[in-house]
Amino acid sequence: MMLPLADIGFESDGDVVVASVRGEVDMSNAGEIGEAIGRRVSNETHSLVIDLTSCEYLDSAGIHILYELQDRLRNRGQDIRVVVPTGAMIAEALRLADVPRAIGSAETVEAALVSLRE
Amino acid sequence: MSPSPTRAPEDTPERGRGQIVLGSVGTTPTPTGARAAQLVHIYRLSDPMLSELGLEALLNELLDRSKEALDADTAAILILDENGKELVARAARGLEEEVEQGVRIPVGGGFAGRIAAERVPIFIADVNHADILNPILREKGVRSLLGAPMIVEGRVIGVIHVGTLVPRVFDNNDAALLQLAAMRAGPAIERARLFDALDHEHRSAVALQRSLLPERLPDVAGLDVAARYLPSIDEVGGDWYDVIELPGGFVGLAIGDVAGHGVRAAALMGQLRTGLRAYALEGQPPGETLKRLDRLLQSIRGRGMATAAYALFSLETGELRIASAGHPPPVIIGADGEARLMELAAAPPLGTLPFPAHHEHETALAPGETILMYTDGLIERRGESLTAGLERLCAAASVLASAEEICQRVMDDLVPALGASDDVAMVALRNAPVEPDMRLRLPADPRVLSQIRQMLRRWLHTKGARAEEIAALTLACGEACANAIEHAYAPGGASFELEAVHSSGVVTLAVRDNGSWRTPRGQHRGRGLQMIEATVDEVDVRATSDGTEILMRRRLAS
Repeated sequence: MMLPLADIGFESDGDVVVASVRGEVDMSNAGEIGEAIGRRVSNETHSLVIDLTSCEYLDSAGIHILYELQDRLRNRGQDIRVVVPTGAMIAEALRLADVPRAIGSAETVEAALVSLRE
Repeated sequence: MSPSPTRAPEDTPERGRGQIVLGSVGTTPTPTGARAAQLVHIYRLSDPMLSELGLEALLNELLDRSKEALDADTAAILILDENGKELVARAARGLEEEVEQGVRIPVGGGFAGRIAAERVPIFIADVNHADILNPILREKGVRSLLGAPMIVEGRVIGVIHVGTLVPRVFDNNDAALLQLAAMRAGPAIERARLFDALDHEHRSAVALQRSLLPERLPDVAGLDVAARYLPSIDEVGGDWYDVIELPGGFVGLAIGDVAGHGVRAAALMGQLRTGLRAYALEGQPPGETLKRLDRLLQSIRGRGMATAAYALFSLETGELRIASAGHPPPVIIGADGEARLMELAAAPPLGTLPFPAHHEHETALAPGETILMYTDGLIERRGESLTAGLERLCAAASVLASAEEICQRVMDDLVPALGASDDVAMVALRNAPVEPDMRLRLPADPRVLSQIRQMLRRWLHTKGARAEEIAALTLACGEACANAIEHAYAPGGASFELEAVHSSGVVTLAVRDNGSWRTPRGQHRGRGLQMIEATVDEVDVRATSDGTEILMRRRLAS
């Protein structure tokens, strides 16, 4: 038995999809996580929130999928936000990769939803 | 030809339970030679050696000897089926088809059916003029029949009969001989049937029990686990253990004991093990896990009682949180090999109180220390106090060894050679010792990355690194290893090396592979080196004679 490193929970708030990634993301599972999230984002979706509150590890492979998802959504006129609380273990990795500025981040899912509707 | 069948008169002096003698055939004067022959037959039917035969051999031998003693051509044994309504052919001589075809005769009908219903020997002088249900008897040309009931503890369990191909008269002496065979066969059949039923239940219960226990234990880096389950000599019980790999570098360790024995206890155990595992996988802490398990048990119809303990172990820090519901105290074996009992506050077993609270105890297992959890079958011995059992356990567990060796030693010392009278479950978890320096050669497979992080976090923890330092160094190491794994596509790059050294407050990580640093491709690639540079004090990427070495250094704050 090998426990999956991470799992994803999906919720919808109107036309916004919220994908919560729990666990650890590295090059062994980043690809399938990116695909799973991509499949849930339909053409009708207005935007995507990736909630990393319970994500305990995320390396450059994980950051790569955030940028890939952003590229894909932008091409369709959709928006994306990443949720990461200050002081989270992965906050530093995201900051180093310029995610808060280049993609847009929020402290909570609620704050992300508000910023998407502004 | 006399109207058959005939039966014993009520006033026959020999009459008794299972010992009914035909009367109307009369007492034939017995010549001395014939009397001697009969004695031989009596001896051969009561031969003590017969007891040594298995059931099949015994029945066949009895039929052969009955045939011989009564100068008959056929002999058969039919036994009453489970619902007591039909006789089923069980063994036969000269009438083998009866068994092969599974002949069934209703109780009360035909020749054998009447013997079973009336519980007396019956003699049929001529089959052609009698009420016979079994067609095989006629087909085989049987003319005369003598049958007797097999009675065990006042219950008819079957019928034995002999037949001849020429008409003949069976007398009292013949009936007595056949009854002797019946008395011999009856208890043997009954005993075998009882034994089969018990054996079958035992075997299926053991199989059930085994299927409900973990097939194998998780293989987690830095963790050394072992377990044992031993059914009792004569009955399975409701003992279980479990080792649950949890997210975030945690491992759950469970042990439990459902009160009672047999299939019911084993089945309830299966429900509780699954329940505990499910709550644990949801991330519930030990106290809450037991509380929910208690509620689950109380919701099960015809529920029972159980004791259980659940421990949550952090691979990174060695912290251990444990809750117990009336379970015997765990044993902690120190890094010096000394075993002691872990004091836990008394708590009621599961299924006994409506609103239980399961207090959590916190402790830590330093590297090299072991926790051993077990069920009471291990320490309880008739005529001995529980304290004495616990002392023997601590003495046996006082050893500096792996979890596997500890389990083996405890089993060898505490479980009697012939097996325990109660079932025994045991699970041991050892926080594997951490080497001062870490040197690993790893396969170039992305799946090793999570194990590397696990081991590095443990190692850094023993060096006194702070949480943010552990996070930063783990990220740097992960990036360097991921790069080495990408090199696996280069010739000879199927593995790589990781070395971690702590000296004068500085952690040095070295990752060596047989390829060259991959030129970043694409817009978002190449972030790895940037991440490493930002999380360590110093990074050095250099080409060696046969590959690339990434050296990373960071001074720890403490």
